[in-house]
Amino acid sequence: MEDITSLTKIQLDALREVGNIGSGNAASALAQFLNRKIDMAVPSASIMDFKDIPAILGGPGTRVMGIFLKVLGEISGRFLLLIPEDTSIKLLKTLIPGCEIEDPLKMSELESSCMREVGNILAGAFLNALSALAQTPMLNSLPSMTFDMAGSMIDSVVADMTAVSDKVLMIETSFIESEEDLRIHIFLLPEPKSLRILLQKIGVI
Amino acid sequence: MSVVIPVGMGELKVARSPETLAVYGIGSCVIVSLYDTKSKIGGIVHVMLPDSSGIDKERLNPNKFADTAIPALYDAIKAEDGVFKANLHAKIVGGSEMFPPTEDFENNIGRDNAASVKKALKKMGFPLVAEDIGGKRGRSIEFDLESGLIRLSILGEEPRDL
Repeated sequence: MEDITSLTKIQLDALREVGNIGSGNAASALAQFLNRKIDMAVPSASIMDFKDIPAILGGPGTRVMGIFLKVLGEISGRFLLLIPEDTSIKLLKTLIPGCEIEDPLKMSELESSCMREVGNILAGAFLNALSALAQTPMLNSLPSMTFDMAGSMIDSVVADMTAVSDKVLMIETSFIESEEDLRIHIFLLPEPKSLRILLQKIGVI
Repeated sequence: MSVVIPVGMGELKVARSPETLAVYGIGSCVIVSLYDTKSKIGGIVHVMLPDSSGIDKERLNPNKFADTAIPALYDAIKAEDGVFKANLHAKIVGGSEMFPPTEDFENNIGRDNAASVKKALKKMGFPLVAEDIGGKRGRSIEFDLESGLIRLSILGEEPRDL
C-alpha cells in the first residue's frame, strides 16, 4: 500500500466516509465553539498531484492561515487546516470581543493562540471520531500556525511524502457558515505506511 | 512585459533574455538558479528534498533532490548554444521552516535542503553569488534573464533584488 495510486474505488469511498465522520464531528465542535450553525461540504477523498493542491486555495501565492498538526498513533499522518484570509479575520472577530484585526500578518499573541486553539479543537474532534471508527487511539500534536502563501505551506507539508510519487492521498472538506461564508479547508494526509493499517481498521482490505 | 514562465515543485526550466522565470509560494523547497552572464541564458530547478540515496533510480525525478537536481540543471543549460561553464553563477532561495516547531515535532527539511544544495554547488564548482535562505517565511521570486536579477517577495516586506 506504499503505492497509493493502486487504491480501488471502494477503498476511496471508505476513505471519503472517514472524512465525512471526522468532519461531521469537527463541524459540531466548531458550531459549539462559535455558537453558530455550521454546514459542511461533502468531503472528498482523492489521489492528487501535489502540484494541484494550491489551486484549491486560489493559487500558490494566495494569502492563507495555516494550522499544522501531526497525527500520532498506530495510524500516523498530517493534519492541515487552511483558512482563507477573510475567514480568519471573521473567526478572530467572532471569538475575541473587541478584536479589530485587519491584517493577519500582524496577529497579536492572543490572536495567534486563539487560532491555534481553533486548530486544536477541530483536529481533536476529527481524530476522536476517527479513533472510534478505527478503534485505535489517534492523537494530535500541539498545533503550529502561520499566515503566509498557500504554496509555501503545502510544499513544506508534503515535500517528504513525495520522494517517490507525485501523488498524495488527501481527504478534504470545508465548512460553510451560511450567513457569514466562513470557509475552512481540512486536509488529512495519512503517512503512506499507515494507509494499509487504516484500510484494515475500516475493513476494506 | 516579457514572457513569464512559472516553475512548479520538482520542475526544471531553462530560459533566455528577455524571458522571466517565476516561482510562487516557496516554503521548505530550495530554488537553485544558474545564469550565464554573457549569453543571458539561465535556468531554475525547484528542489524539494536533500538526498536521493535509497530511491529507486527508475522512478527518480532528478529535479526533486539536491544531489541530482544541480547536475540536471547544468546539463539542461549547457545544451544551449553560447553557454560556458566559466560564465555561470548560482543563486539560491528558500529552505524555510514554515511551521514553527512544537514540543511534538520539528521539521528540518528546509535546513537540510539548503545545506545539501550548497554542497552540490560547491562540488560542481559554481560560485554562489547570492542567497536568501532559512527563516520562517514563504517566498516568491521572479528571475529576469535580461538583468540576471532575482526579485524576491515576502508577504509584508518590500520586494528586493538578489
